[in-house]
Amino acid sequence: MAYEALDFYDIDSLLTEEERMVRDMVRDWVEDRVLPNIEDACRDGVFPDEWRVEIGEMGILGAPLKGYGCPGLSYIAYGLICQELERGDSGVRSFASVQGSLAMYPIWDFGSEEQKEKYLPGMAKGDLVGCFGLTEPDYGSNPGDMITRAEDKGGHFLLNGAKMWITNGTIADLAVVWAKLEGEIRGFIVEKGDEGFSAPEMKGKHSLKASVTSELVFQDCKIPKDRILPDVKGLRGPFSCLNNARFGISWGAVGAAQSCFNSAREYALSRIQFGHPIASFQLVQNKLSWMLREITKGQLLAYHIGKKKDDGSWIPEQISLAKMNNVDMALEIARMSRDIHGANGILDEYPVMRHMANLESVKTYEGTHDIHNLILGRHITGIQSFTREP
Amino acid sequence: MGVAVLLKQVPDTTAKIGISGGRVDESSITKWSISPYDEYALENAIKLKESGHGDVVAITCGPARAAKCLTEAAAVGADRLIHILTESSLDSIQVQSLLSAAVKESGCDVVMCGKQAADTNSGSTGPGLASSLGFSCVGGVTGVSMEGDVASATRLGPSGLEEVEVGVPCVFTFDKGDTELRRPNVRGIMMAKKKPIDSLTPDDLGVDASNSKVSIKSHSSPPKKQPGQKFVGSESVPEVVNKLREEANVI
Repeated sequence: MAYEALDFYDIDSLLTEEERMVRDMVRDWVEDRVLPNIEDACRDGVFPDEWRVEIGEMGILGAPLKGYGCPGLSYIAYGLICQELERGDSGVRSFASVQGSLAMYPIWDFGSEEQKEKYLPGMAKGDLVGCFGLTEPDYGSNPGDMITRAEDKGGHFLLNGAKMWITNGTIADLAVVWAKLEGEIRGFIVEKGDEGFSAPEMKGKHSLKASVTSELVFQDCKIPKDRILPDVKGLRGPFSCLNNARFGISWGAVGAAQSCFNSAREYALSRIQFGHPIASFQLVQNKLSWMLREITKGQLLAYHIGKKKDDGSWIPEQISLAKMNNVDMALEIARMSRDIHGANGILDEYPVMRHMANLESVKTYEGTHDIHNLILGRHITGIQSFTREP
Repeated sequence: MGVAVLLKQVPDTTAKIGISGGRVDESSITKWSISPYDEYALENAIKLKESGHGDVVAITCGPARAAKCLTEAAAVGADRLIHILTESSLDSIQVQSLLSAAVKESGCDVVMCGKQAADTNSGSTGPGLASSLGFSCVGGVTGVSMEGDVASATRLGPSGLEEVEVGVPCVFTFDKGDTELRRPNVRGIMMAKKKPIDSLTPDDLGVDASNSKVSIKSHSSPPKKQPGQKFVGSESVPEVVNKLREEANVI
């Protein structure tokens, strides 16, 4: 049966023709290329390289960025792209999020003219893969205390330290790395092959198995002086990247939830117990109706914050709310969908267990669920509660 | 010079079709698409353009919603878009008259379309158009290449693949074959948005679209498939054999 995305409040009617066409293009690609191959990719623990090529050919990387060969689409279109990719798999959406929002965006916003010319056109085509190094083994929610250091050696910078949980790290041609230079957080572009830089892959994940996750290790890593991002200092740099990525996640989570809802609905209609389809039982209908309700609310949140991104009237706390709510909603729906599928729900014949396992990561990365609560708590009360220090 | 490709917008092959008052209820159709065989025609038209045979002119005939298939065609490479705007339902001769007037207007000497539409399946447009334009017609082809004014087309014949040579002007109707459809990309979609659509009425084309000689009296859903029957245990064998003999007539 063909995929019919849940759209109870007709969000479709609010989209421009261009947005719909971009959405349909990505939806068709996911249908043709991701869904038939995703379970093998997960089993093998790889992000198939042809997906990188094809995503590049579609021209969706760095979707909302303008100039330097970037697509220049609306934030709504960027959201729709994330939604469709994550309907396939959170790992595929992660690839695009990291490339666009975390690697291309800081170069586009904070890079020098030469850096933009050098990297962005290739990155938009998927010929160059980027990653983003902020989190460290000992500093996740608290990146401000990072250990990674850069030293100005006159003719070059010397980087020392390690990053962890870096999506795309091992397959990346360049890394946007945040490190302290004279006590201040700055962004640096490190290229594959730079002396003293390595990116070993992290193995053994039960989640995001079709996505590459790596460590970045800098041991007296020597990089030229023109690789510093000139236009940003402090946590504002990485945080502005995260705002864009979190925005994409709020849409992506809707896609994963739509996939789980669809599978649950189809399964409930075809599974006969006690002589009737289980969809005819009130407890199952109650679950389906709860899913419909939560997805619809999540879609409206995502759409509205998309409009605010497009007109520039957003605040970061609104993105925190959308990311936190939608991922939480999607994870609950994945679990509930698994429940409706009974034992069948654990099989890879259905997408639900995979989405569920993926969403456990999505709940934690790009600001954990709890950290987003603290961001909102600070917004409501004016009192920060991240640290005991005043 | 140039390739006209005829695109019909039909309910997506996966769409649910609702009937109300003896008519297909169009509001129940959530997705409209280019008729699949027409997509093969479009892909081959673009290939022909890439090999140097002029521009691709995409033509559709239908209500306002049909403009979408022109924009989709532009996103993968159609150069000029013509929409023959019609509201009432037309018979095949009328559609062929409208399309041939538009093809004449476009100046194209090669016309490509699907071998049949996914909704009506009548297969009359290509041959009818060729007849009204006085063009040659080769049906059910899967690929076309051009050398000067001579086209060679591949089609599935009775004993394998046939290579057919034909001079222009001509009409090709397309079968699926192993043609791979190209995917649009963002750049194409953004260009398509800017491409103007020439909207023409039957009057503009000098065609009388008022009196259909053939009209559809009513639509109805096909009869519901009977549920399967289940037999358990060896004691049911005589009953099954009896049913296979008497009801299914297979033994």
